[in-house]
Amino acid sequence: MAGPELLLDSSIRLWVVLPIVFITFIVGVLRHYVTQLLHNEKKVDLQQVSDSQVLLRSRILRENGKYLPKQSFAMRKHYFNNPETGFFKKVKRKVIPKNPMTDTSMLTDMMKGNLTNVLPMILIGGWINWAFSGFVTTKVPFPLTLRFKPMLQRGIELLSLDASWVSSASWYFLNVFGLRSMYTLILGQDNAADQSRIMQDQMTGAAMAMPPDPNKAFKSEWEALEIVEHRWALENVEEELMCQDLNFRGLFS
Amino acid sequence: MSSISELYDVSWEEMRDKLRKWREENYRNSEQIVDVGEELINEHASKLGDDIWIIYEQVMIAALDCSRDDLAWSCLQELKRQFPDSHRVKRLAGMRLEALERYEDANKLYDSILQDDPTNTAARKRKISILRAQGKSSEAIRELNEYLEQFVGDQEAWHELSELYINEHDYAKAAFCLEELMMTNPHNHLYCEQYAEVKYTQGGLENLELARKYFAQALKLNNRNMRALFGLYMGLFATSHQPYTPQNPEAQGFAARNRDEVDCVQLKFQHIHGEGLSC
Repeated sequence: MAGPELLLDSSIRLWVVLPIVFITFIVGVLRHYVTQLLHNEKKVDLQQVSDSQVLLRSRILRENGKYLPKQSFAMRKHYFNNPETGFFKKVKRKVIPKNPMTDTSMLTDMMKGNLTNVLPMILIGGWINWAFSGFVTTKVPFPLTLRFKPMLQRGIELLSLDASWVSSASWYFLNVFGLRSMYTLILGQDNAADQSRIMQDQMTGAAMAMPPDPNKAFKSEWEALEIVEHRWALENVEEELMCQDLNFRGLFS
Repeated sequence: MSSISELYDVSWEEMRDKLRKWREENYRNSEQIVDVGEELINEHASKLGDDIWIIYEQVMIAALDCSRDDLAWSCLQELKRQFPDSHRVKRLAGMRLEALERYEDANKLYDSILQDDPTNTAARKRKISILRAQGKSSEAIRELNEYLEQFVGDQEAWHELSELYINEHDYAKAAFCLEELMMTNPHNHLYCEQYAEVKYTQGGLENLELARKYFAQALKLNNRNMRALFGLYMGLFATSHQPYTPQNPEAQGFAARNRDEVDCVQLKFQHIHGEGLSC
């Protein structure tokens, strides 16, 4: 339903649109620094480091094993995959599933995360909703269906209004996600103001140094290593070398 | 003695950039580092800003190499003042004790670091180098093996272990270590060439064949590697003179082919040296 083109008061632009951008940005930067202050060193477990390196070695063996002589490759594969004494078969790490409710360190981390990210968002979102309500702030450049109306047009009870016209609360949320690249520019990569990344982390589950189940990782490595076969890359290297010109001309003058 | 900036007509920024280049590319030209670094620290400390700490570290290690204990001590003091609880600074203090041959004290210091942080690889490696400095190579080998069991990915350590084994004439184990290095860096011609040399030293037809192949690979990766070329030549020469045995009927075919290859390589040598090599 295409409504007539609305002409908005230009003071909306001056006093609503720009302040919201400004506020979002400043709050984001503040969040970054507060997170840095509250951040505590992650204790690295020796076992985890060791395991991750072993997995790396096994992966490299699969990829670059063809540069080793056949026997060396077989020796290493045997070390990893032997049914009785192989590393991946024999070593079973005791995995204590970390219950987020009872594990104290994870609990404090979660609390801190919530405090620095969710709380400001709720507070400021609510304040903006209260302070800047009752009028249309901006128009999104693409047409939207009617189902978006109650979501994006809080506080504006007009049935005939185009769904593309949105309120200030939705402009705030647009900013929260849109300013992500600005944060990267100013604060450098991997900054704590990047909320969408944090939300992604929360969705994919725990993200500590190693996948919390090394046994699974070992199993998948074992399977991958089983099927790899050794094709020696150096089979014909001498013939190839003899065929090509070694370009010694001009090397020693 | 006039300062570096006068001698070479360089500004302090260029000196700082030179130091950074040496640091990143792991150069060990300690005397130069001490000269340039000392001047930077004494004259231009305020202009360097936060870079100065890493320059202190770099200059301190170079000063230990040149046995300039005064300079090393002053650098260490500055770093201790700025980073009082840092393990990295403690390790530098340990290195200074090692340079003064106070190995017991250095060991105690490293043990305290490891108690605090069991995953600190730098402290462990310093302990192993203390053993090596004291000449206890079998213990050093044992400790290094234990270290590598936990940190399999440490290439520096594998290389060190291969050197230790070569000194003990245990070529099979040295070859194993070099294989690890070749696996992780397949395009590095130096590892190929070292491996080939170890195989050549081990001797025996199989090892000589392997050596030849790896020398050839090293040449393929970098055709300016003269050691590899020479190694290839020696390998071909050696294998072409292996006696024909009933167990190895292909040896004769090999020998004939090898003689061709020997001639090929010899021609290439002649190209370089302008005169024939007599066999």
